[in-house]
Amino acid sequence: MTRTALVVGELSQGRLAGATHEAIGAAAIVSGSPAGVSVLLAGRSARTAAGELARSGVARVVVVEDPRFDAGPPAVLAVQAAATAARIGVGVVVVGGTTFGREIAGRVAARWDGAVATGVTEVAPEGESVRVRRPVFGGRATETRVLGGPRVVLAIRPHAFPTPASDGPTPPIEVVPAADLPAPLLGPIRTGVESAAAGAGPGLSDAAIVVSGGRGLRGPENFHLVEELAASLGAAVGASRAVTDAGWRPGSLQVGQTGKAVSPQLYIAVGISGAIQHLVGMVSSRVIVAINSDASAPIFRVADYGVVGDLFEIVPALTAEIRRVRAT
Amino acid sequence: MEIVVCVKPVPEAETRLRPDAAGTALDPEGVKYVLAGYDESAVEQALLLRESIPGSRVHVVACGPAPRTEEVLRAALALGCDVATWVDVPAASADEPLSAARALASAISPHSPDLVLCGKQAGDNEAGVVPAALGELLGVPDLSYVLDVRWNAGASRFSLKRASEAGLESWTVPAPCVLGLQQAWNDPRTAKLPAILKSRKAPIARVTPPSAAADPASSPRRFELPPPRTGAKMIEYKTADEAATRLVRALREEAKVLP
Amino acid sequence: MPDFSLSPEQESLRDLARKFARTEMTPHAAECDRAARFPEEIYRKAYDLGLMNLNVPTEFGGSGLSLLDQCLIVEELAHGCAGMTTSIIANCLALEPILLGGTSEQKERFLAPFCREYHLASFCLTEPSGGSDAGALRTRARKDGDGYVLDGEKCFITNAPHASLYTVFATVDPALRHKGVAAFVVPRSAPGVLPGKDEEKMGHRASSTSTVRFEEVRVPESDRLGPEVDGFSLAMRTLDQTRTPIGALATGIAQAALDHAAAYSLKRQTFGKAIAEHQAIQIKLANMAQAVHAARLLTWHAAWAIDHGARGTLESSIAKCFASDAALHVADEAIQTFGGYGYMKEYPVEKLLRDAKLTQIYEGANEIQRTVIARELLRAYA
Repeated sequence: MTRTALVVGELSQGRLAGATHEAIGAAAIVSGSPAGVSVLLAGRSARTAAGELARSGVARVVVVEDPRFDAGPPAVLAVQAAATAARIGVGVVVVGGTTFGREIAGRVAARWDGAVATGVTEVAPEGESVRVRRPVFGGRATETRVLGGPRVVLAIRPHAFPTPASDGPTPPIEVVPAADLPAPLLGPIRTGVESAAAGAGPGLSDAAIVVSGGRGLRGPENFHLVEELAASLGAAVGASRAVTDAGWRPGSLQVGQTGKAVSPQLYIAVGISGAIQHLVGMVSSRVIVAINSDASAPIFRVADYGVVGDLFEIVPALTAEIRRVRAT
Repeated sequence: MEIVVCVKPVPEAETRLRPDAAGTALDPEGVKYVLAGYDESAVEQALLLRESIPGSRVHVVACGPAPRTEEVLRAALALGCDVATWVDVPAASADEPLSAARALASAISPHSPDLVLCGKQAGDNEAGVVPAALGELLGVPDLSYVLDVRWNAGASRFSLKRASEAGLESWTVPAPCVLGLQQAWNDPRTAKLPAILKSRKAPIARVTPPSAAADPASSPRRFELPPPRTGAKMIEYKTADEAATRLVRALREEAKVLP
Repeated sequence: MPDFSLSPEQESLRDLARKFARTEMTPHAAECDRAARFPEEIYRKAYDLGLMNLNVPTEFGGSGLSLLDQCLIVEELAHGCAGMTTSIIANCLALEPILLGGTSEQKERFLAPFCREYHLASFCLTEPSGGSDAGALRTRARKDGDGYVLDGEKCFITNAPHASLYTVFATVDPALRHKGVAAFVVPRSAPGVLPGKDEEKMGHRASSTSTVRFEEVRVPESDRLGPEVDGFSLAMRTLDQTRTPIGALATGIAQAALDHAAAYSLKRQTFGKAIAEHQAIQIKLANMAQAVHAARLLTWHAAWAIDHGARGTLESSIAKCFASDAALHVADEAIQTFGGYGYMKEYPVEKLLRDAKLTQIYEGANEIQRTVIARELLRAYA
């Protein structure tokens, strides 16, 4: 017997976050088809955003039009999600792999008493249970778990699930009032946001493509080569410890044991020799490209594709080629 | 102010990961468990707040089996935490984030802290569930991906930053609350030798959770290491342009990571 | 039988030193070696963490570590950089005569400043005309009223240009040889104390070494350590205490060399496979590992014996002599494992050989250690 699922949608500036589409994709796998999936959208623009799920084939979109969900912390939406899950009677709640989604997963699990797994990259129904696979130890290992019990909560990993095709029926929209939101949870107030500098914060951790620069760039004045390549790919910018220690770029960009662990779909290491401290932070990337002048650099042993040569020639050529390909 | 900081023993970063005989979990043989990563940032934040708020106390709490749990508590004491509580549960419970949160909540709630700090996730199973689950279990708000927490006594609120996809958000949060801390933003201090020696002799309160609340069924099935990479496929070229063309073609057509 | 396992307390001390070595010392070791830079900022950090005056008892504000605990720390520090370690532990050597021969008033007076804030001290025994022959000192201590006047020159003095205090051995009468040696504590600020220029050294280049001239330096009698005739014995008892950590220092160098060689052997390919798969390299690594292990155990044993009340002259001489020879050998083999790269300064192993060499020479050359070992050995057969 497969489980019906509730996807907790995330709205970003009035629109559905990409992570929500991926969560629907994952939920459809657990439920056997989109028809087993309900989607919860809460916030002032919930009804408009529900329009984005036309032809998604999901069972229904539950809409809660209430501004408290726009301003409040993730916990508020988690309360609504747990209430909605209990009311509909689903067997699994799925959230997207954003910072918001992960926080929701923890509170829904505790509130709804569900078995929980986060950072999930693969999911499949297994009898009455749900089998999940997820990276652990910063991507240095993976674990497979089977989540049983009547209730399961999953937070998926970004970019791990395809967004489903939109060739199904348009779901009905149910507008419901907000659940009883405990007053203390409405206490936190967001007072502002500074937009992220390239690669800052989870932008780096969660980017699908990361381009990192190392000592081979010779100085901060050349780091723009890495940034331009990243821009051409829509990638986040990272750096080796040598670069951040030397102050060429802030420590927040450091990929490695003492910095951030990343596991994007594509990691491009420019002028990075591949000290173990760096490798630990990026070795779980799906595809690794290394560009380095030293053919014996350890980075080439973990890379999938290597270019030995002068990065000052290769990188601009690569940026130009990607721009050309993207333009056509 | 009563500040609780929750820490978890995790294998040190240099650990060579290896599945156990059953292939379902990390083989703990020879693994050294330490206070690390996110939790170090959480402890540092707790100590910074204590230093800025007169009359504060930092209470470190950890759940898990002996001896690893005692070791991280002593490490936290050596860094300057005032008192320590060990919630004695088996490793399997400590590694399941919801049971860990329940065990921690049972030990924390009698103390009615004004603030509970955690690393936003642990470096081993990376669930990131505990801060939000603790918030739910303690009936207080939570926020994670947090850095730079300050206390605004006049408003009786914490002001803090939160790193999200949107950028660096500013929040104010009333006490009591649970906060999950980002890693590597506050340059955690190192314990000094005399403090280490003193921490070895400090008392640690041991508690057992009142009842082993039924753990949600979550059974480990397989623990695997990625297959070793066999070395890069080298792009042969005569000119930089040729290298670029060949690499992009490989990334699009073979690896399929570019559209 | 003794227990070879470390206590949780010892593990945490070792972890502290290991972390300090990895995060503060190793990253700067090559640069300080190349430039012969004395990284005082690192030494201050070591002081702040309590890694400097390891042997000073807690009642005088120190850490009061056992010799074994000191050895655990010294080995880890030396793994990061032997030269820095020599400078970090130089205070232990310089302050030991005060611990062994000072009155409680002298200990209080001389040691308290070291435990309040960062200071360096230097042990001044060796002279240009003789190192190991400590009975043949030429530096004179001439009795003058209620004190002494010191005249002479010491050489190869660690940290001398940076020290605020010197423990100085001088003779009241050269004709008395050993029996004429007295020990004094001399502040850097005393008129006539003149440290020389930094020597340009083969290894331990992050450490500072120079001569110190004493020109008509007045020392009150209250700054003399122990009886006038007791200086030589005090120097020897000091070296009995500090010799064993030199074994630990050498073990740290050897372990670093083995670590580099083993890691490199897995990465470096020849004839289509990693050189670690060639038996020639395996035998090398196995022999290196044996030497490191034996050096460590001999060091631990000597420290354990002294901690348990033995004078430990034999054990510490064996440990220092064996470990320093092992360090030179293991560093040499590490270079050989690296091949041509090992000879290049860009790689970390040639420094280890240069650093290891000194451990065979200082704090009693290995020839003297062997003389002592033979003397102690033959005494049992006489």
